[in-house]
Amino acid sequence: MPDAGINLLRQSAIPQVWLRGGPVFALLIISKAGSLIYHRTFPTSATGTAGAGGTTQPQTVGTLGLPGTSTLSTNDYLVIAGTFHGVHAITRSLTPRIPIPPSAAGPSGRSWTYPDPETPPSGIESLESSFFRLTVFQTLSGTKFLLFTDPSMPNTDVLMKGVYERYADYVCKNPFWQMEMPIRIDAWERSLNQWLTRR
Amino acid sequence: MAGAPPGHTIPSYAASHAGSPSRHMSQYPSTTVTTTTTSSSALVSGTPAPTSTLSSTLRYPSTRKTIYDRNLNRSRNAELSRSSFAYLFMEMVSYAHRRVKGIQDFEKRLNEQGYPLGLKLLDLLLYRAGPGASSTSLTSSSSTSSSGGGAAHRPLRLLPLLTLLTTKLYPLLFSRPADSLEQSTTNPAEYMIIDNTPLTNQYISVPKEMNQLSVAAYIAGIIEGVCDGAGFECKASAHNTGTDVWPNRTVFLIRFEDHVLEREKELERQGVK
Amino acid sequence: MASGQKAARVGEEVWKTRVDKVNAELVTLTYGTVVAQLCTDYEYDYVQVNQQLDKMGYNIGMRLIEDFLAKSNIGRCGNFRDTAEMISKKVGFKIFLNITPTVTNWTADNKQFSLLFDENPLADFVELPDDGRAQDELWFSNIFCGILRGALEMVQMSIEARFVSDVLRGNDVTEMRVTLLRYTEDEMPPDDE
Repeated sequence: MPDAGINLLRQSAIPQVWLRGGPVFALLIISKAGSLIYHRTFPTSATGTAGAGGTTQPQTVGTLGLPGTSTLSTNDYLVIAGTFHGVHAITRSLTPRIPIPPSAAGPSGRSWTYPDPETPPSGIESLESSFFRLTVFQTLSGTKFLLFTDPSMPNTDVLMKGVYERYADYVCKNPFWQMEMPIRIDAWERSLNQWLTRR
Repeated sequence: MAGAPPGHTIPSYAASHAGSPSRHMSQYPSTTVTTTTTSSSALVSGTPAPTSTLSSTLRYPSTRKTIYDRNLNRSRNAELSRSSFAYLFMEMVSYAHRRVKGIQDFEKRLNEQGYPLGLKLLDLLLYRAGPGASSTSLTSSSSTSSSGGGAAHRPLRLLPLLTLLTTKLYPLLFSRPADSLEQSTTNPAEYMIIDNTPLTNQYISVPKEMNQLSVAAYIAGIIEGVCDGAGFECKASAHNTGTDVWPNRTVFLIRFEDHVLEREKELERQGVK
Repeated sequence: MASGQKAARVGEEVWKTRVDKVNAELVTLTYGTVVAQLCTDYEYDYVQVNQQLDKMGYNIGMRLIEDFLAKSNIGRCGNFRDTAEMISKKVGFKIFLNITPTVTNWTADNKQFSLLFDENPLADFVELPDDGRAQDELWFSNIFCGILRGALEMVQMSIEARFVSDVLRGNDVTEMRVTLLRYTEDEMPPDDE
């Protein structure tokens, strides 16, 4: 068990429930400007409880860490990120805008409001196939986190929140990382190991 | 101004700083002078000599929220979010990064930024360790004392100094003692303080091409400042010694000057503790 | 103010349960050494020091917003008044510095307010240099202005922030003036229909 004792406080706060679910396949981060700044696949052929997948013998790990799938090049990932960024923006724009009387217009002077003014338009929040579920979380500041998991995995929102907190800690507080640039940070990788691959 | 002039409000400042080594005073002219005159972080200020105080042009708020009116122990147990330190330190490192050439220069700069903290924290530690620590009146008895009216004595021997670092300085800064203190087996002038989880490194991974860099050089600077302020001239440096369990484990290497060791021998001969 | 009370509760809750702490004096001293370094680097040109502090704050603010969002788990603010309550008064300053500056002096158009700092951990135990200039030129805590500007820019608000008084200058209050310039909404669809 690597890194025991690091961040004890957080470890003790990990809800154990989702660990019983399927594995995490991959994590992608798309910057505010739409470029892929991080991608990592997680090995799913590890021994032990493999969740719904049930694969126990080691196999070649391909796309999104799924065994037996073809392997994507870095360029393929960049295309995926760029495409998704665009699709996400379009789905976001499908949020209705309800007209409001000028007298009620807010400080921004808009003549319309979203159905729930407290909730920003979100775009795609999840995408599912028979093999994986993609959970999307866009921060208010525009960064998108894409988490590929087994469809049976519960509480991916909790999982995602943990990823976001670790991003805020180990990426944003690192003076050697520049915004919009690729993330290559040891402490971030270690904290992801703890959060996403312990089982 | 009804308030006592600065030079008279804080006990034992002048004494300990008069005792500060001239070597370092001249070696760090900018940082030392800056922080004492700016008092930008002057937990223990009082640099102005009485003459300059008399001609002070500083204005004070009528609410009297000044460093002379507020209790020095007020913030003793105060806490802020660790993020506030992390972001401040991040930007400090980032700013330094833009202005240095190479790892050595980088660490030197971080060390120099920590050094004045050490000088101030030494006084604060001694003041708080002393019998008058709970007193709110700083102006009684201590105004003319140069040997620390209400403050504890500064350490004279190496071991008490090192213990002060690991069991007093560390808890003040990081709310815990240092993980261990060791003496070099090869060089009697060298001691090591080991910290498995230095606060400065918690959120900072250095890039591979700079893997020799330890941002804990800032803490090394604080340690060096405390030692120098107490009259134990030394060089302190931080070294990455990460393990699987403790990836940020850091050794602070403290190398004392020869004359400090000579004095140590003499004091031992005389039975001074 | 229901939203104000709710924000205050959120702030207190987050501060108590979700925030790792650090000794306040370490932060105070570290900020002090940062300002001192700038004074040295810019040869006591306080106008430049102010600018540099604002710039450092801006860099911090753009990143600090993620910590704030990740820890407080709050949604987008409906209007600038909510923003003032939420980010500045109750939650923002609360979860980083454990202080709650007072929001006051709103203009009629709800685009400008003041933050009054009763406590300011960054300036604890600070006295400005007695050089006849610092008290007129240096805004010691100017990093706050940049932090607010950077943080709010990341959530699509363009603002201007500046100090107008400071107890370190001999004023009776420390006051920052914050002005909303515009919502940027750079990712939103065009607004022109």
